[in-house]
Amino acid sequence: MSLKQRLVPYWLLGPGLLWLVVFFVVPMYFMGELALRSGSLTTGYTFDWAWSNFPDSLSGHTEQISRSFFYAGTATILALLIAYPLAYAIAFRAGRFKLLLLFAVIAPFFTTYLIRTIAWKTILSDDSPIVGVLQTLALVPPDGRVLATSGAVIAGLTYNFLPFMILPLYANLERLDLRLIEAAKDLYSSSRQAFLKVTLPLTMPGIVAGVLLTFIPAFGDYINAQLLGGTQQAMVGNVIQSLYLNQRNYPEAAALSFLMMALILAVVTIYIRFAGTGAFMGDEDEEAAR
Amino acid sequence: MNGQGASGRLPAPLAGAWAWLRRNALSIYACLAVAYMLIPIVVIAVFSFGDTPKDKLTFGLDNGFTLEYWSSIFSLPELNEALLTSLKLAALSTAISTAIGTLMAIALVRHKFHGRRVANLLIVIPMATPEVVIGASLLSMFVYYSVAPGFSTLLLAHVMFSISFVVVVVRSRLIGFDRNLEEAAADLGATPLTTFRTVTLPLLAPGILAAAMLAFALSIDDFVISNFNSGPTQTFPLYVYGVSLRGIPIQVNALATLLFAVTVVAVALVLVQQRRAERLAAVRPTPIPAPGAPAAT
Amino acid sequence: MGAGETSVRKRALAVALTICAIVLSLGVAACGDDTVGGGGNSDEVTTAKGGPVSGDLAISNWPGYMDPGSNNTVAQFEKETGVSVDYIEDVNENEAFFGKMQPQLEQGESGGRSIFIVTDWMAKQMYDLGYLQEIDHGELPTVFENIRPQLEDVSFDPGRKFSVPWVSGMGGIWVDTAKAPEIRSVNDLFDPKYKGKVTMLSELRETVPLVMLAEGIDPIEASNEDWLNAIDRIKEAADSGQIRRFTGNDYTEDLTAGNIVAAIGWSGDASIVENENAEWRMPAEGCALWSDNMVIPVGAPNTGAAYGWMNFIYEPEVNAPLAEYITYIPPVEGVQDLVEPELAKDPLVFPSPEFTRNCTDQDSPPDLEPVNEAWQEVITG
Repeated sequence: MSLKQRLVPYWLLGPGLLWLVVFFVVPMYFMGELALRSGSLTTGYTFDWAWSNFPDSLSGHTEQISRSFFYAGTATILALLIAYPLAYAIAFRAGRFKLLLLFAVIAPFFTTYLIRTIAWKTILSDDSPIVGVLQTLALVPPDGRVLATSGAVIAGLTYNFLPFMILPLYANLERLDLRLIEAAKDLYSSSRQAFLKVTLPLTMPGIVAGVLLTFIPAFGDYINAQLLGGTQQAMVGNVIQSLYLNQRNYPEAAALSFLMMALILAVVTIYIRFAGTGAFMGDEDEEAAR
Repeated sequence: MNGQGASGRLPAPLAGAWAWLRRNALSIYACLAVAYMLIPIVVIAVFSFGDTPKDKLTFGLDNGFTLEYWSSIFSLPELNEALLTSLKLAALSTAISTAIGTLMAIALVRHKFHGRRVANLLIVIPMATPEVVIGASLLSMFVYYSVAPGFSTLLLAHVMFSISFVVVVVRSRLIGFDRNLEEAAADLGATPLTTFRTVTLPLLAPGILAAAMLAFALSIDDFVISNFNSGPTQTFPLYVYGVSLRGIPIQVNALATLLFAVTVVAVALVLVQQRRAERLAAVRPTPIPAPGAPAAT
Repeated sequence: MGAGETSVRKRALAVALTICAIVLSLGVAACGDDTVGGGGNSDEVTTAKGGPVSGDLAISNWPGYMDPGSNNTVAQFEKETGVSVDYIEDVNENEAFFGKMQPQLEQGESGGRSIFIVTDWMAKQMYDLGYLQEIDHGELPTVFENIRPQLEDVSFDPGRKFSVPWVSGMGGIWVDTAKAPEIRSVNDLFDPKYKGKVTMLSELRETVPLVMLAEGIDPIEASNEDWLNAIDRIKEAADSGQIRRFTGNDYTEDLTAGNIVAAIGWSGDASIVENENAEWRMPAEGCALWSDNMVIPVGAPNTGAAYGWMNFIYEPEVNAPLAEYITYIPPVEGVQDLVEPELAKDPLVFPSPEFTRNCTDQDSPPDLEPVNEAWQEVITG
């Protein structure tokens, strides 16, 4: 390969990497340094390699971290279950109006989160008929409520992150060659098997992308817990928000953020190995395939 | 699902219904899912016609019907300005981040080069960073270099946090892509640029569109990072959050509904226009959308 | 391929090095100074200079604190003085606003603004960090002629050295009288009868002093111990599910939707609570009084026009339409005679000294950090 061709990827990556380096890495470098400072707002924060910020920021917050994991994980699974058939139907059943349907489904997310959430709060308020129905169906205890519970936070996360699941799934499903499925049906004779052996593997890149795009931001989210949760639903995002804005403990806020980012990266790496789509992180599978 | 067994025991008309239900299960499910996605916008639209005594959004259900807020939909200059700013910001940020991110995705999937892992890491990490940390650290940097916060810093920030999402979406479309078409084009003497423009780009289009929609939604909905880096500029979410402290004017509902309606109608018009153009050109390349396509279930 | 490979490696290395160099030069420069925070200018507090009332003036205020329309208070000020006003509604929360301005204030810059409007404790925090200039009473004749006497001397700023009230309000209890007519004290909010039907504000200086008052402790005199005890009581109620949520202004949504029977909330929110049975009640044991104040930040341009603005706002004729729109307590004497009669009779907008006799100023705990940490742990439970 010529030198010129060899340099192509760097040219393609160049603008984006430069943008991320200048507007993400540089500020983060500043944050990393802040995480090693000690002091208070009044005395000022002095740089003294205060590694203790890291364990300190965790103390008393492990519950919120495991809660975030549970909420974001559940919401991601629910979103996948809702989005996959929907994206499939849009891609294959909507004919030439598939774009219209796609926009109709995504456009509600162009209104701002606050109005959307207030709308949901109205629908799910304690006296609303919907909650009454849920109570009759025994899905909610007779004197129970939906708002200010873990269920409400998970439902909020699920809804608000659905576009992050639908869009990559759609982009991926849309190119699926239906003739392959026909052929698979001829081979396996059952729709379910055809789905499991052909459709699912072929759309795996879309699923992996959707799961990542949903799980990662949902894990760090704080708005849903703040607006829809009660007193026992705070997530790690709420803790970081509070450390930063309310307690002005910049070092611990930065330290906890880095720990959270490391945790997410670890989870993502394990997940990607498990899902077998190494190409996402430039894994050995890909390198071996060279 | 043991549909066969169930239909066997059912009387004929019911069995017919059951079979119909089974055949159309996916479509029915899709309709339900679409309805679910639209619930908030329907509520928002309904209450934009509600006559509230104090002209403030309360979502109370005992209101009369009124067109007052629709006839005065543009009567709040600050709201108009905030929405316009947000639309402009989202459009620019979407255009830039989609272009940059698509190039990155192509590089990462199509090319082997040193430093891929680092590049991958750099793309995933911003998504995992708490917004308050991104917002605050960016502001610190802007202030340090005496860049006054405003529309331009908002644009820089929005492009930054959108890039990763674009890359992941476009890349999921690219992985496992059939490269034969491109190679064929190259064999036929097309320059790389021509191949890209006439073959790669059209094949990628749905991925790019999905990424752009996500970038747009991210930008027009962002509050935390914008709040830090906006300076005196007001965006739509900042405006709504602010007025929510003293009661959201109902024109916000009407405008949100209008935004939704305009988006959908515009897409519909484009589709109708396309169809007419196709008919006029008397070309019928209907790409087998298959009414009887197999269901996923 | 060998030769090409080497040269590609070299190129890649060069690219990587360039990126590293950019990061390092930007990053190291950004970390040049040794301390972050701590208020760089706390040694020399300056007093804002007077001057001609002209030129440009930028003001950061809360949303809903300015009457709308093309002939509103801002427009009148512009017409009368020729000053061109940039009125920015970007103070949504004290903390978030502080977070946004702090890096600039640390550099001695005010982001082009000459006036901020922030709550008492935030004004004090900014002052203590050296982010504010003191005000010259000689430049504010109208203000100190017309200010309500109760506001002249407050615990967070004795003698009004750096703050001029914009508007005042009371923290108390909102009650849905159809569902819980008997709630009259903050103590009633802890009644198991109302389990899960009560909200409190997430702001430390709003909720905790009210709970202390209910226990017979004067928040101004309270020790750290008292604060921590009150927080313990609230924590227990939060853990048991007695308290439904900790809220910002959004308690009004829960009240409107009927999700709660009572909330700790503000006296001026009647305009956004759409529940005809809901009313604000002065707790039997008293309320917490606060003000949002105009302050002049360090590095503020055109402080002459800022003084001009403050004097203008304190003209009763100017303040009356503002008071009618805001529906919190105006700080200007004589406004009561100029507003609509119905509003003039409203004790929540024009409270008599008798009405507020048990109320205290809002204040921070003696040693903020441990108290705030304990409180935030309750909020993010």
